[in-house]
Amino acid sequence: MRVDAFAIKLRRRGNMEAADLGVRLCQSVARQVYACYLTAALPVIAISLACFELATWLPTLLMWWLKPWLDRTVLFVLSRAAFAQRTTVADLLRAQRHVWWSQLSSTMTIRRLSPWRSFTQPVFQLEGLAAGLRRRRLSQIRAGTTGTGLLITNAYSIIELSLVVALVSLVFWFAPTGMEPDLSALFMNDEETQVELAIAIAYAIVIAGLEPFYVASGFGLYLNRRAELEAWDIEQEFRRAFAR
Amino acid sequence: MNRDAASHVSGGVLRYQLSTINCQLAVNNAVLDTAVYAETPEGILIELRPAGIVARFYAFSIDFAIRIGIFFLASFVSAGLGMLRLAFLFILMFVLEWFYPVLFELSRWGATPGKQALGLKVVMDNGLPITPAASLTRNLLRFADFLPLMYGFAFVSMLMRKDFKRLGDIAAATLVVHQPLPVPKPAQQDIEPLAPARTLAPQDQAAIIALAARASRLTPERLDELAAIAAPVAGAEGKSGPEVTRRVLAVAQWLLGKR
Repeated sequence: MRVDAFAIKLRRRGNMEAADLGVRLCQSVARQVYACYLTAALPVIAISLACFELATWLPTLLMWWLKPWLDRTVLFVLSRAAFAQRTTVADLLRAQRHVWWSQLSSTMTIRRLSPWRSFTQPVFQLEGLAAGLRRRRLSQIRAGTTGTGLLITNAYSIIELSLVVALVSLVFWFAPTGMEPDLSALFMNDEETQVELAIAIAYAIVIAGLEPFYVASGFGLYLNRRAELEAWDIEQEFRRAFAR
Repeated sequence: MNRDAASHVSGGVLRYQLSTINCQLAVNNAVLDTAVYAETPEGILIELRPAGIVARFYAFSIDFAIRIGIFFLASFVSAGLGMLRLAFLFILMFVLEWFYPVLFELSRWGATPGKQALGLKVVMDNGLPITPAASLTRNLLRFADFLPLMYGFAFVSMLMRKDFKRLGDIAAATLVVHQPLPVPKPAQQDIEPLAPARTLAPQDQAAIIALAARASRLTPERLDELAAIAAPVAGAEGKSGPEVTRRVLAVAQWLLGKR
């Protein structure tokens, strides 16, 4: 870990401010993040939406289920960006063995359900520790910070839901008078595939846009926790002052 | 410079020095940070730390819960009003929706209870306290942020802007900021103070004092590692180990004024 190569200003931050820092990091490399992320996400979204013919609820479930797998791509780009390394799609494809195809089973099962998944994901994906050491490491990282990790997940879930509702509402805003789809049919188990399709598409759009920020917020919190545990900010100041 | 504006950066000499470092780095524009800088007419840079989507989401949620609570309480209490009850409740709803935030933002806390709970504050984006006009503007424009439904535009705006403003903040030129964290106080220790082996710039002194303040929360190995970098101040250049650490911490005591 070379603190002097770190591209982020190190200073004391509260946990919520650390999440903001993640968002800022994601904004600053948005082009790279989305180029790589959409490379992985668009096929997933396309296949999920294609499953609409099998069952109308299947696309939403599939996309929800595969999110932690998509997150790995985002974290790959962000972790390099934190050290001012540019990432292209070619870099991602070269690293796909590690980014896409390792830890597949745990990503899709037990970690899918972790309520602080974006906060602990860097430990699994970036630190590369063996299982026993990793457990100790996790409890060290999580001490006193798990709560914020949970709050981040909760906030983004509700924001995600709000944005889906907002997008679906556009169908009603722009539908010609008298032609609006009937919402009550959704709850009566009637044939109302228009609205269900609109929801699936809205969910796909929201995941395509929002997920990198969720991963980034958790990553920001993780970085802040490590900086705090290891006093990176002091190291950076010391290196500037004394290493000449 | 306005006294309230100064309070965002003040908080002791240490805080002042650290923010001076931040300002220099901001000017160099080399590193990534959430902080934005406002310049006063005197040419002083003020560091403002905008609050992003997660903190503001929870601040809003708490305020929303409080507003709902007040409304239910009022509808319960007003049961005896008869015909007037409905009118009373509608007026209350209107007042709560539009003036609850304004009232608190213009108070001396500069923040609604939800924002206070999260350590946030609303200020003008030049660092001055919020004006009544700006407070009204940003809160009336919540209506625009709410569109198309469920604060869709507010979320998108907060995620896309570097300073995390929602539409109301853009129109009113306001900023929701994190209030400064308290600076950790270095523990007075029973170490014989040691004069530094070379002269130190103010920010170097601040870094050494910061190490002393956080020494107890670092693992001994990590503490030794950090102290080894600062070994030149203890006249032990190139060396490391617990003895060097002890000497660096002794220098910190000297810098704190112990003789």
